[in-house]
Amino acid sequence: MKARGRGLVPGRVQAPALISREPISFLGDVDIRSSRVVGELPSVKGRELRGACVFMPLSRGSAGAWRFIYQMAMHDSQPAALIYQSVPDPSVVQGAIMANIPVIAEVAAAFVESLRNGDIVSVDGETGEIEKL
Amino acid sequence: MRLTDVEKAMLSGDRGEAMRQAMDGLVKLGSAYGAEDMVEIGYAHVHAGMALYLRDVELVEDLAALGAKMAVPTSVNVANADTENWRATGAPESLALLQSRVKTAHGKMGGTCTLTCTPYWAGHWPTWNTHMTSIESTVTIFCNSVLGARSNRDGYFSIYAAITGRYPRFGFHLDDARHGAHLIKISGEFGGTSDFSALGYHVGRLSGDGVPVLDGFAHRPNLDELDALGAGISASGGASMFIVPGVTPPFDDVAKAFRNAPPLHTHSVSPSDIAGVYAQFNLRPDIAPSIVHLGCPHASMEEMRHYAKLLAGKSVSPHLQLWITTSRNVRNIARDEGLLAVLEKAGAMVISDTCPMSCHFARTVSPDPSLGVKPPELQSIVVDSAKQAKYLRDMVSCNPLLTGTEEAVETAVSGAFVPRRSNLRSGT
Repeated sequence: MKARGRGLVPGRVQAPALISREPISFLGDVDIRSSRVVGELPSVKGRELRGACVFMPLSRGSAGAWRFIYQMAMHDSQPAALIYQSVPDPSVVQGAIMANIPVIAEVAAAFVESLRNGDIVSVDGETGEIEKL
Repeated sequence: MRLTDVEKAMLSGDRGEAMRQAMDGLVKLGSAYGAEDMVEIGYAHVHAGMALYLRDVELVEDLAALGAKMAVPTSVNVANADTENWRATGAPESLALLQSRVKTAHGKMGGTCTLTCTPYWAGHWPTWNTHMTSIESTVTIFCNSVLGARSNRDGYFSIYAAITGRYPRFGFHLDDARHGAHLIKISGEFGGTSDFSALGYHVGRLSGDGVPVLDGFAHRPNLDELDALGAGISASGGASMFIVPGVTPPFDDVAKAFRNAPPLHTHSVSPSDIAGVYAQFNLRPDIAPSIVHLGCPHASMEEMRHYAKLLAGKSVSPHLQLWITTSRNVRNIARDEGLLAVLEKAGAMVISDTCPMSCHFARTVSPDPSLGVKPPELQSIVVDSAKQAKYLRDMVSCNPLLTGTEEAVETAVSGAFVPRRSNLRSGT
């Protein structure tokens, strides 16, 4: 299974998928040290973002998102890649550039529907290609 | 992206590593949002480097060590402690000393180390059509909506824009984003910064990311009210701009604000909606206040004058503390005018440099435990700002009590919480 979105931040990784049905705000929904989701997001509450290719429908507003993504990298708790079905906030993109996390936008919902948590995916933030391995 | 020869030279590293790093970040950001080229900016409001966070002060120091210089007039956003009087807020010395290092770093780079979220009250006043960047969403919305400058809600990269003097042309730098999406029909009489803060908070929830157009005010909002309105809107929604026809350049009337098209959405807002915001942040008025805190965003000179008038000849109750946050620039003007003496004689603490939320954050949960920050015994904090009430609730996890400015001062003097009295409000 392959999909192609729009590559926003370059970088190549292979990592297990973590699928959130809800938008995640990096300011408040995620504990930066443990990497666990602490916000009221039923599909991912209690899960760790560390090392995961995180799929989200959209980003949830905070101009401070960059700081928390950068802080996750400083605490070695950062996700491997961020994949959105829409276009995330500029602040998310800035944080991801600072933390060297590839970001892909506008990935088809059908591809995300076909994935299960833990499926290994390869991500190319330059071309926007994602493949389930 | 189309780059000029100068921009290409910046990107190649010919102009130093700091310039290369900055231009590389801006090109990636611009590519992500489909920008065709760069704009030349005239002003930047940049990240201070925040001592509460791991390797955050060092981010700014690293740029200074690489020889970065600000290419445009630059102000610096709030920090995590008053760098001259940190003891007043209970911040540990380790935090304050780390925080103070940013003054050296920004000084080297040629930025004005204002350490404030209201740089406009400190003299940074970009004008109509000036392209700019800001790390602080309250500054973005004030400069777009009151001054007619052009700014996105930005993050760390505002410092990259300051170093290069460039920013990718997307978002609110283009006319295409600068028009109304929601028509907000205002009715009834209300006034003062606290009411405008609550109004903004309500409107932000209605309009989300879309630009709200607010029509029907009983009086022309003054600068402090417009500042409070924007802070409220950007705290509860994602909007970078609001339009008050006749106030926001260049929109003379509602039709122009919507480019002669019908609004996508129309909402009516009445004084009962504003009362509803106060009610939302007054869930536990039975928990006694430990602190009354005014000045979120950092108080203007007019607000300092207002506080001094309310507190002249009075004394803060021994059962609580009164904190006022303002920029060091405004603090110094207030000192020169004799207002600081009036406030301090009444027992108020006037605090600068720090974010009005993170000075409490500094006392509760620190992301870096090695700083030795200890949780205080806080009960309630009384505020006159809906933005501050939201973040105290969500990030400091304490009980906020939102009321009017006059009522907050009465609370400070009496020691018992005074809720907002709606019948005090007038249109002036």
